[in-house]
Amino acid sequence: MSAPAVFFYLFGAAAVVSALAMVLNVRNTVAAAMSLVVTMISLAVVYVTLEAHLVAALQILVYAGAIVVVFLFVVMLLNLRRDTFAPSRQLLTKGAGVVLALGVAGAFLQLVPQALPTVQEIPPDFGSYAAVGRTLYRDFVLPFEVTSFLLLAAIVGAVVLAKRRLD
Amino acid sequence: MNAPQLDMAAIAPLAFAAFGALFVLLGEVWLTRRRTNEHFINAALSVLSISFLGLSVYCAGAAFSDGTTRVFDPANPMLSLDRFAAYSIALIGIASLLICFASISYLPQVGINHGEYYALLLLSTAGMFLLVGATDLMALFLGLELMSIPLYVMAGFDRRNLRSNESAFKYFLVGSFASAILLYGIALVYGVTGSLGFDAIRAGFPPGNPIGIVGLGLLVVGFAFKVASAPFHQWAPDVYEGAPTSVTAYMAITVKVAAFAALLRLLTQAFGPVTASLSDLFWVLAALTIVVGNVMAVIQTNLKRLLAYSSIAHAGYLLIGFATGTVEGYGAVLFYLLVYVFTNLGAFAVLMALAQGGRDCDTLDDLAGLARQRPGLAALLTLFALSLAGIPGTAGFVAKFFVFESAVASGQTVLAIIGVLGSVVSFYYYLRLPVQMYMSEAATETPRRHAATGELLVLAVCAVVVLFLGFFPSHAPGVLGAVRALEWARSSVAMLY
Repeated sequence: MSAPAVFFYLFGAAAVVSALAMVLNVRNTVAAAMSLVVTMISLAVVYVTLEAHLVAALQILVYAGAIVVVFLFVVMLLNLRRDTFAPSRQLLTKGAGVVLALGVAGAFLQLVPQALPTVQEIPPDFGSYAAVGRTLYRDFVLPFEVTSFLLLAAIVGAVVLAKRRLD
Repeated sequence: MNAPQLDMAAIAPLAFAAFGALFVLLGEVWLTRRRTNEHFINAALSVLSISFLGLSVYCAGAAFSDGTTRVFDPANPMLSLDRFAAYSIALIGIASLLICFASISYLPQVGINHGEYYALLLLSTAGMFLLVGATDLMALFLGLELMSIPLYVMAGFDRRNLRSNESAFKYFLVGSFASAILLYGIALVYGVTGSLGFDAIRAGFPPGNPIGIVGLGLLVVGFAFKVASAPFHQWAPDVYEGAPTSVTAYMAITVKVAAFAALLRLLTQAFGPVTASLSDLFWVLAALTIVVGNVMAVIQTNLKRLLAYSSIAHAGYLLIGFATGTVEGYGAVLFYLLVYVFTNLGAFAVLMALAQGGRDCDTLDDLAGLARQRPGLAALLTLFALSLAGIPGTAGFVAKFFVFESAVASGQTVLAIIGVLGSVVSFYYYLRLPVQMYMSEAATETPRRHAATGELLVLAVCAVVVLFLGFFPSHAPGVLGAVRALEWARSSVAMLY
């Protein structure tokens, strides 16, 4: 097994384990958020092994950086206590969740190998900044511009809902 | 490297609405520096939005009568302006435009006249224009989000009102959940076909592939959330009740048109032959939605909740057309949407005209004695209620007739019978409105304001359309009747194949 493949499986497993740790760490929200950071960074490494370097950098900047900071802010503002999540209320939910998750995982493990199309070879400049730029501004110029309007809508919305005085 | 050949005419309606939002945002800043009269600023921004929406509708109308298909980027097709898109854009554009007219006096009455309202409305409308013209799952998803995010904010626009806050938050949570389900469906479809474009999916979709079927099912569930079809409808009454009435009208009317039109295009263009296997799924959704919507509407005392359940029931009638899976059925759906827009808009416009002094008119008791105080508004609300119920002589009857006819013609007789029985139940709760207005008196009489010009205009347009389509279903030469409108709808659907 080549070195990238070793890293791929190693960090793939780390992503799954830390994602589970995030979901199971119901009592301690800060620990859950930190597990999320581990998931994000592991995914970034997976992207690197798949030659998608720009996506890996964005993953670290946006998800592991900005978004987790926002999560921590919310955790801090809500000031959750340990007994906010009483275990008795969650037993049924947890049980149903585990059964459903196992069911979905089983179905996919069975279905994916027979149903996926063959993977194409990636072009040599895949994932480079030039290729990403060309894709963004030429092939996907419409979604790119629409996304900017989407962000504008989100900004205006945040101001409308949160500004102290709207005059 | 050569530049892509872009056809700007294909995105003209979308661009007018989106850039209109920028002008509204800038215009508000510019006007508040120079004028202090809030009502003037509100009216000016509304007129600005109306003119941009008017341009969009004009472009769509021109594209519809032209009949050609324009693709924004032929090398990488994601958005096209064809007959179907033009029909839907015109419908959504006219509805948004009329809501802007009615908002001129409604917003100051409930004390929420901030210019951002019109900017958000235009952005959301731009999202709907993208949604109905999208021929690529990425554009479809972006359109859906651009439509939804401003709507979440608009639902909470009355910031001091707890109900409005609750409405916004519920809508945001359920809407994000629905978007996630839809996105999962998109991911699975991409997984089995390796492409996001509708044409490529149609060519590369393996018929028996279980993952593909799961993906298609998740896409349908995502749309079922957006159109509030049972069993994915629970959010609708709470959200419709809490939002300001003009926003409720906008959500109930335009979102339904955009989501149904996008689903129709997705099923015919991307999944053509596979769609037949979904007939049973739509059968169950339609029957369940009709029953739940009509039965729950009977026990409501809040007008907005009543109209919410009524709009759920109407989603059920629309789903009958999807269960048939024929061109006639889909054509009947598009015609039904046309009637749905004007009938519901009329009903909501009456409620908007009755809001005053910071209070919405939203309970059945608020209607007591209306016939004596404002006989015109009472008569109009009666007309729209009768059309919603589907009394002969109104557009609502013709629309239901076409849908049920297409169901019977394709062998779905049981579903048509369920629909007719649902309509019979609906007479009960729609007729409670005239009974309340004409036969009971208010305990304490408060003087009601006169309806403003904008509201009167909206009411007049809606009443004319409802009566005209109801009274002239015939196919007389040169006369624009219901049959002619149905032909427009059918020709729009037929070009999708």
